[in-house]
Amino acid sequence: MAAFLYAADPPETIRMVDLEGLTLLYHRRSGLTHILAPPAPQILAALAAGPAGAAEIIARIGAVFEVEADDPAAAIAARLAELEAAGLVWRT
Amino acid sequence: MSEPIDSEMGEAGGAPTRRLVLALGAAAASTVVTIRPALAQTAGSVLNCEIPVPAPQAGAGNFIAADGSLVPAGTAGAYPPLARPLKGEEVKAMLNGGRVPAGVNAEAAQAYANYIRRLQAGMSGFTCYASLQMPR
Repeated sequence: MAAFLYAADPPETIRMVDLEGLTLLYHRRSGLTHILAPPAPQILAALAAGPAGAAEIIARIGAVFEVEADDPAAAIAARLAELEAAGLVWRT
Repeated sequence: MSEPIDSEMGEAGGAPTRRLVLALGAAAASTVVTIRPALAQTAGSVLNCEIPVPAPQAGAGNFIAADGSLVPAGTAGAYPPLARPLKGEEVKAMLNGGRVPAGVNAEAAQAYANYIRRLQAGMSGFTCYASLQMPR
């Protein structure tokens, strides 16, 4: 597992609205709006507790949900890459 | 009237042990769609976005050298971090026309502009900077 820690903006700097399974996220700092599907919002929620590596993020999500994935490490890496490209998470 | 439906509580009336399943998805799936400013922008939301100089995750106390790179605090010839993030509008004016933001000296502004040009995806302010570059 990669050694990077990922961080996200604090919850008070974004506005999230649930839309029947999807989440609309307004990022105040950039003025951009993002449409998120699970598990992206759950990853951001997991990072609200502080920066974490990929394995720790899976563990935090696993404390709330039954995590389902053929290859959890590859899946979480792909999700984090998407969130990073959108400017919603970054590596510390 | 209707038949009672078997409770999901299970025997002994214990709390349900089922937890919500969250699929992490396939590596090739996509879970984030960004509405770009051309679509989302109303009333100058992009011009009101903010760019911290430097980004907190890049080392909030670092100074900014003339070429925009981050150097340890106190380095000669480098400039201290800005006390406030720059607004998108200020950055646009600074990058396009060289107009210096209020309260910033001209040489320092050049260093800050260079720092902003070097922002990369994932750093605070990058999305704002990228948005400013988009045709309107």
